[in-house]
Amino acid sequence: MAVQTGTLTQEDRLSALLDMEKMILSSKGREAQGPAERWMRYLGFPGGILAFLLVYYLPAGAGLSGAAQSGAACFLLALIWWVTEPFPTYVTSLALMFLLLVTRTSAPKAIMDVLGMEVIWLNLLAFILSAMLVKTRLAKRMALGLVLRFGHQARWALLAFLLMQMVLAPLIPATAARCVMTLPLMLVVAAIYGSTEESPNAFGKNLMLLNLICISVLSSMTMTGSSANLIAVGLIQSMGGHRIYYMDWVRVGAPIAIVTTLLMWVLGQKLLFRIPEADQTPRLTGGLDVVRRKYEEMGPLGHGEKKALAIFGLVLFLWMTDVFHLDWFGVEITAPFAALLGAVIVLFPRWGVLQWAEADIPWHLLIFSAGAYAGGLALDDTGAAEWAVRMLFGGINLKALPFGVAFTFVMAIMMYSHLLTTSKTVRTMIMLPIIITLSKAIGWDPVSLALPAALCIDWVVGLPISGKPNVVLFSTNQYSVMENFKYGMLTCTIGLGILVASAATWFHWLGITPAFWAVPQ
Amino acid sequence: MRPLALGLVLLLFASVAGAAEIRSYTVRIQVHDDGSGSVSAVVKIESAMPGAIAIPIGFAKVTDLRLTQGPAGMDIVVTAANGQTLVQAVLPGGVPPALTLAFGFSVQDVFLPVTPGPGERSTLPEGSRVFRHALLNSQQAPIRSYTAEVMFPDGLRAHAIREALPKLRKSEVGPRVQLDDINATPGARLQVDRLAQGDSASMQIELVPQSRSVAWLIAGLVLSLAYLVYFKDLVARRAT
Repeated sequence: MAVQTGTLTQEDRLSALLDMEKMILSSKGREAQGPAERWMRYLGFPGGILAFLLVYYLPAGAGLSGAAQSGAACFLLALIWWVTEPFPTYVTSLALMFLLLVTRTSAPKAIMDVLGMEVIWLNLLAFILSAMLVKTRLAKRMALGLVLRFGHQARWALLAFLLMQMVLAPLIPATAARCVMTLPLMLVVAAIYGSTEESPNAFGKNLMLLNLICISVLSSMTMTGSSANLIAVGLIQSMGGHRIYYMDWVRVGAPIAIVTTLLMWVLGQKLLFRIPEADQTPRLTGGLDVVRRKYEEMGPLGHGEKKALAIFGLVLFLWMTDVFHLDWFGVEITAPFAALLGAVIVLFPRWGVLQWAEADIPWHLLIFSAGAYAGGLALDDTGAAEWAVRMLFGGINLKALPFGVAFTFVMAIMMYSHLLTTSKTVRTMIMLPIIITLSKAIGWDPVSLALPAALCIDWVVGLPISGKPNVVLFSTNQYSVMENFKYGMLTCTIGLGILVASAATWFHWLGITPAFWAVPQ
Repeated sequence: MRPLALGLVLLLFASVAGAAEIRSYTVRIQVHDDGSGSVSAVVKIESAMPGAIAIPIGFAKVTDLRLTQGPAGMDIVVTAANGQTLVQAVLPGGVPPALTLAFGFSVQDVFLPVTPGPGERSTLPEGSRVFRHALLNSQQAPIRSYTAEVMFPDGLRAHAIREALPKLRKSEVGPRVQLDDINATPGARLQVDRLAQGDSASMQIELVPQSRSVAWLIAGLVLSLAYLVYFKDLVARRAT
C-alpha cells in the first residue's frame, strides 16, 4: 500500500494516514532491506534457473511422469524467485505461466482458466467491498474506535485483532473475505503505530503476520471453517467409517488453534520481531488524544456509512447463512456470488456508494494469485504432489513404530505439505485418503490419525502463495517472503508440538488416539 | 475349420456358463518399439460350469493366441463382433468351480496414430507416441477386479496420463492409473474394482523420448550469465 502522507505536523500526518481514499495498492516491488537481501535478489535469478535445470534433468523417477517433473521444476524456480524477489512477484507468476506452457506441463486452457477461478473472483469482489468501506469512511471510524479502545499499548491492539479474527472465523468461512474486510483496519492501525509501506516496522510485521495466521489457523476451530474441512469429514466418514460431529471437531480443533495463535501473539513480539518500548504506543504527538479528537470530528454515522453498513451487513448475512440458502432460495449463494451481489449494489447508479473508477482493483495481485494457482494446479494435475507425498510416506516403515512416533511423522508431513501446493481442497483430497488407508493398514483406528491431520488443513501460513489471505496481506509490502516463512514455520512447528502433546494426553483421554507408545498389533 | 467348429459349439452352449463370474482379470502388455505388443492374461473364474465362456480383451488385431494354463483338453479362439474382441472357450465337463485361465497373444498397433492428416496440425512433439488401452465388459459375467499393466519400450517414458477412466468413486483411493516400474521396466497400471456388463475402463498415456533436449540447459545458462553481468549494479552500486 502506498500512502501519500506529505511532511507536515503529527496531526496532519495522522490526517493523511487516515485519508484512506488516497491509498492505492502499490504494484511496485518492495525495496531490498540491507546488503544480504540485495545479494539474495541478485543471486535469486540464476539460483532459480539452476534449481529448475537440476530438477528438469534429474533421471526419471519411478512413477513420476515427465510433465510432473517439469511442473516441479517450474514451481521450484518460481518459488525461489518469489522468495528472493529478483523482480516483482507478479512478473514471476507470468513467467511461471509461460514456463508451464513451453515445458508442456499444462495445457494453455488450464493455465488461462485460473484467472476465472472462484478465488480470483472473490478477491476482486472483496476489494470492491473494501473500497466501499474506505470511501464511505466506515473503515476509518472502525479503525479509530478500535485504537481508542485497545490501542493504548501495541500488544493490546494486536490482541484485539486476534480476538476479532477469532469471532469472525466461525461466522465467515471464506478466508479471503475475512482478510479483505479487516485489511483497511490493519492498514490504518499499522500507520498509527508508524508502520507504512515505505518504512515498515516490527509492529506492522507483527500485525500483518498475526492476522495472516489467525485468519487461516482459526478456520480449523470448526468443521465449517472451510470447505476443505468438510471434505475431510466426508472422507473420514466414507473411507474411515466414523462420523465426525460438529462438537467432536470443536473440542479438539479449537483449543489447538487458540493456544497456537495466543503463543504466536507473544512470540511474534518477543522473539521474531521485537517491538521496541518506544513503539509500544501510537507514534503521534499528543498520543491517543489526537486519535480521539479525530474520532470525535467524524461526528455521527453519515448517510454513506449507513448505506455501506447495510450493504456489508447483507453480504455478511449471506456469507453466514449459506447452509440455509437451498431451503430459502432453492440455490446456494456461494461466497463470491454474495460478494457479487454486494458489488452490484455498491456500484448501482444513484443508490450505490462507489463508481467503478474509485474501486481500487489490484490487478497485479490477481495476476500473482493466478500464477501461483496455475503452478499449484500443475503440481496437482500432473500427480507431482501426490507422488511426493507417496514417496514421503513410503520412505518409512510406520508399522514398526510406536503410535506416537508414527503420529508425529504423519502430522509433520500434513502440516508442512502446504508449502508444496496452493489448494487446501486438493491437499485434502490427496492426503486424507492416504492417511486413512495407511491407518487401516497399520492397524490404528483411522480417526486417530485422520482427524488430527484434518485439523492441519487450514494451516496454510508458510508462504505468500500458500493461501488467499497470504496473497492479499503480502501486497501491503510490510514484510518479506522470508519473514512470512519464518513466522509461518514457527506457527506450524508450535502447532505440531501442541498436536503431538495432545495425542499423548487428552486426545487419548477422549478416546481419539491410542496410548502414545502403543505398538501396532 | 477348427475355429469354425469351436464357434458352433460355443453357440450351442452360449447360455450354459452364464452364472460364471470373473474374480480377477490381470493383463500385462510389453510394448515394443515398432508398436506391437506381447500380452499375457490371467483370469480367475468363480462359479465355473461346463459350457462356453467369453472373455473380452481390449485389443484388436490379435495373433498368436495360446493357452498357457487351463483345464486339460480346453481350447480357445479369438472372435470379433460389433467392434469387440473376445477370447472364447468351452469349459469341459468336471471343471472345478474356481479355476484359473492364463493365455497369451500378440497385438499390432497399440499406439494411436499421431501423424496429422492433410490440413491438420500435430499437437505432439516429434518422437511422441500415444498408448491407449480400453476394455469394455460386453459379457454378462461381471469382472470384480481388472488390472492392466503396460511396460513401455526402451527409450520412452510417460510424459502425461491423458485418460484414466472410470472416474474414481468417493470411496476409492486414487489414482486410477499409476505410473510405476513393472518388472523393473517403466510402465503404468490401470486398476478397476468392478466392471459390470456395459462398463468400461481405459487409459491413455503420452510417451516421449527419455532423453531431454539440451536447449533448456543452454538457454538457462545464457540467461543466468546475462543477468549476472547486466544486473551487477544491484549489489555493486551500494557496495562502493
